[in-house]
Amino acid sequence: MKRQRPLLLLLLLIYIFSPTLFGWITNPDGGWYRPYVIWLLVIVIAYFSQQRDTEEHEEPSKQ
Amino acid sequence: MTFSFIQVGLICLCYIAILFSIAYCTEKGLIAQRLVYHPVTYIFSLGIFASAWAYYGVIELAGRFGYGALAYYIGTGALFLFAPATLKPLMELAKRFQINSTADLLTFRYHSHAVGGIVTLCMLMAMAPLIALQIQAVADTIHILTRNNGTSITMPNTTFDTRKLLALMYCAMVAGFAMMFGSNREHHKGLITSMAFESLVKVFGLCAIGLFAIFEVFSGFGGLEQWLAENPDNLARLNPEGSNGSSHTLLLVFIATAVSMPHIFHMTVVENPIKNVTKTISWAFPLFLLVMALPIFPLLWAGIKLGGQFPTEYYPLAIPIVSGSNTFTIISFVAGLSAATGAIVAISLAVATMILNHWILPATPLRTHNEIYGQLIWMRRVLIAVVILSGYGFYLTLGNNFNLSALALTSFIATLQFLPGVIAVVHWSRGDRNGLLAGLFVGVTIWFIGLLLPMLLGLHELEVPLLGITFNAGVEHWSSITLWSLGLNIVVFVATSLLTKQSDDEKYSAELCAEDELSHPIRMALDIRSPEEFIERLIDRIGESTARTEVDRALEKLGLNASERRPYALRRLRDEVEANLSGLMGISMATEIMDNQVPYRVPGIDGVADINLMESRINEYRDHLTGLAAELNNLRLYHRRTLEELPMAVCSVGKDMEVLMWNSAMEHLTGISSESVTGSRLADILEPWGELLDRFANSSAPHFYKQEVELAGRTHWISLHQSTIPSSNVHESDGQVILLEDVTELQILEKELMHSERLASVGRLAAGVAHEIGNPVTGIACLAQNMKYETEDAELLDSVTQILSQTDRVSRIVHSLVNFSHSGEQKDTGLQVVGLFECAQEAVDLIRLQKEKGLVSFSNEVEPNLKAWGDNQRIIQVFVNLLSNARDACTEGGHILVEGSRRGNWARIAVSDDGPGIPEDIQERIFEPFFTTKDPGEGTGLGLAMVYSIVEEHKGLLDIISPVDKVLQKGTKFVIKLPIPLESDATTGNTKHRL
Repeated sequence: MKRQRPLLLLLLLIYIFSPTLFGWITNPDGGWYRPYVIWLLVIVIAYFSQQRDTEEHEEPSKQ
Repeated sequence: MTFSFIQVGLICLCYIAILFSIAYCTEKGLIAQRLVYHPVTYIFSLGIFASAWAYYGVIELAGRFGYGALAYYIGTGALFLFAPATLKPLMELAKRFQINSTADLLTFRYHSHAVGGIVTLCMLMAMAPLIALQIQAVADTIHILTRNNGTSITMPNTTFDTRKLLALMYCAMVAGFAMMFGSNREHHKGLITSMAFESLVKVFGLCAIGLFAIFEVFSGFGGLEQWLAENPDNLARLNPEGSNGSSHTLLLVFIATAVSMPHIFHMTVVENPIKNVTKTISWAFPLFLLVMALPIFPLLWAGIKLGGQFPTEYYPLAIPIVSGSNTFTIISFVAGLSAATGAIVAISLAVATMILNHWILPATPLRTHNEIYGQLIWMRRVLIAVVILSGYGFYLTLGNNFNLSALALTSFIATLQFLPGVIAVVHWSRGDRNGLLAGLFVGVTIWFIGLLLPMLLGLHELEVPLLGITFNAGVEHWSSITLWSLGLNIVVFVATSLLTKQSDDEKYSAELCAEDELSHPIRMALDIRSPEEFIERLIDRIGESTARTEVDRALEKLGLNASERRPYALRRLRDEVEANLSGLMGISMATEIMDNQVPYRVPGIDGVADINLMESRINEYRDHLTGLAAELNNLRLYHRRTLEELPMAVCSVGKDMEVLMWNSAMEHLTGISSESVTGSRLADILEPWGELLDRFANSSAPHFYKQEVELAGRTHWISLHQSTIPSSNVHESDGQVILLEDVTELQILEKELMHSERLASVGRLAAGVAHEIGNPVTGIACLAQNMKYETEDAELLDSVTQILSQTDRVSRIVHSLVNFSHSGEQKDTGLQVVGLFECAQEAVDLIRLQKEKGLVSFSNEVEPNLKAWGDNQRIIQVFVNLLSNARDACTEGGHILVEGSRRGNWARIAVSDDGPGIPEDIQERIFEPFFTTKDPGEGTGLGLAMVYSIVEEHKGLLDIISPVDKVLQKGTKFVIKLPIPLESDATTGNTKHRL
């Protein structure tokens, strides 16, 4: 459960900000590819956070 | 250009042949293992998620809902993005309990066979439209290729024409492929690789067509931007008015796919060949989906720009056809074919396994005299064919009345009904089977009436009058049907679960599934004593060869041997065999077989927590623990290590006399390793410990003092102490902790002390006797002396001389006795220079006194002036002990020689006899206290030990040579080296001691 606390918080934040966020993402004045860019950003963030997690887990075992 | 049916058929055949060869090469090991087991291969194999609908249908969805269509990718992508929280618990469960499908998962969690059967039925209904979708996509694209126009394909089509025949042939080929490579229970390496290849083809095809659309139709990105600027309504349609609600519902529908779609579940959770791949898929799979989603809008717009009569969903194929590119047309067709094939294979495998495990096996007993693996493979093969052909039948029934999106939504909304039950598996242990079945019934009924029934009737809209109210059904109202079915499903599930009571078995399963269970796993009892008994019990149900194979496989996996008798190990073996069987024939059959053949008994004693299981589980989850839990775990480890490294032998036993802990000192003392003893009953431990510990643990005495134990031919004395481990429940205990103390050294010292005491008292007695004898002898000597002066008689004088000589001898004997009796009294007075010749002589004189021992001759050849540092009495003692041993070893007429000479700074003394010698194997042990080869009562076993300790005290060296005579193999020689006094020492010695 402890690990999922940030997830729940994130879900809450997404729920609160989703109308504004979706409104901005799907705004026709921006490029049609805007959602894809945001998506790619999320993936990049996920990738780096995974890398950091992996390193953190590996470090103690190296000692 | 129009393709002929034969050409299209050939393309299909070539493609399927490539798939076969890839799968075949992988199975035969012709493709590098590095590639087969690479995470990228696995990620691509997950790509079967994007079926023909993701290739064609989603374009139509994009036309209707704009960005809403991305929900298909974003929903699933989000689930994978949070895979460590959402999917990992399920993956771990699946790995731990060999769960193969959604039905297995729910059967296991809700501990009910009925759940498995019902879930399989629902799943079959849910998957029929999805299989039909794939077949329809392939049939329609074949039709488009061969007709080169889109006029007739959306028309209802009930006649059995060539494209339906081609579709049937295609189904047969796919079924053949799935039957060949998917029916074996071993990791379907070949299948995974070919599925990965399919995804690669699909993603390549879609991107190629996307780029083709941009550069061929729009002449590059600039052209696209320009076209969009000229046609702003297309941009506006990306966010159509009033589509917000639908988009969110779409998101809801698709977010559940990975866990409730059987084939995605199978690929994500079961066919997970690489360890720790969860982290990689959490970003790599969303990336794959992003790439798949990128060409959607350019394709849609290119299709709109080109116009034509093609339905929107087939734009990816229509664009190259209208542009006149045969190459891209074939690429697009093959990519679509690939998407459909992958999905059909995976769905049919997953559904066939479910039907086999939850319908066929529980209903039909296997023929146990035959080998059952073959039977199972054939059953699965038949079922795969049946499932694919049923999908084909469903496709024929629908007769092209519905587009791909309608079919996909119908299927997805059906599987969404499993979501509450699946979420409750890990996250809500209160949810019970009644709740699940009630919720599922409500949800599936709404779906059936709202979507499937109108579909079967060929209607897009249907008004259902119920209780005086008219409900709108049909695929046009999918959004409200989704919300109603899922909403009511959840409400009924929760309400029923809260109102009804879980059975104990269900509660146990629920706790096993819950990630952070707080329960104490109860240590169940098994009435089985060996792995062989397992096999005997299982023969009735699965046949001897299978039973033996499965038990051996489980033993090997657990690293146990076939003679294992520990209850803890047998419990683990039972769980492993059950897991293996569930991999073979489903969890429902496996549980049923194991519960009947090898049942667990609830232990007679309440609350016997399985500490070993708890610990091994905590160890497994160690990396997951955070915060307080991690600290508590550190504390646990600290206490465990403290106990482990305690320099006292400690073990703890549960109330049922099972060993729970066995520390390293205990291992050292007993020579039994902790791994081999943990979990066994006390009485089953190797002798002599088992009997002793069991007797002690069952007695009420808190201590057993000085228990004699024979260890490696040597007697040890062990003291045992025990204490009760208090339970959190007052008046109860959690078992005992037993402490063992090896008091052998202490015991030997005590005995030595007692012996010395006895010797000392004998010495005092001897001194007293000597004194008493000495006085009359002195009187006799004086009288004889007087008589010598008072007579001239030669004969009498001779007698007097004889008397004097004899009294002198008596005096010397008495003197020796007195001297010996002083043994040990000068311990603290320090060493002095002693004459070794005199010591040896005195010892010889003393030994000669024992006339009753056989006639043995002694010769003292020690150099008369040989001196050494030492305690006179103790050196004599050394000689006495050595000589007496030598005499005992000699036969009648034997000869004992005492030699002594100076060797450098050492005085070397050797006592040798011509007895039979000392066997080599006991030479090392003769200096141990109480080691004797003499008959009981003859020797104490202390003589040589005393020699050894005295020589040690004198900083000397002791050696033994036996046999002395290598030819005749007889004789023993004890060689002692004692430090000799140097000149300086002598000077010093003179000032302190008198010679």
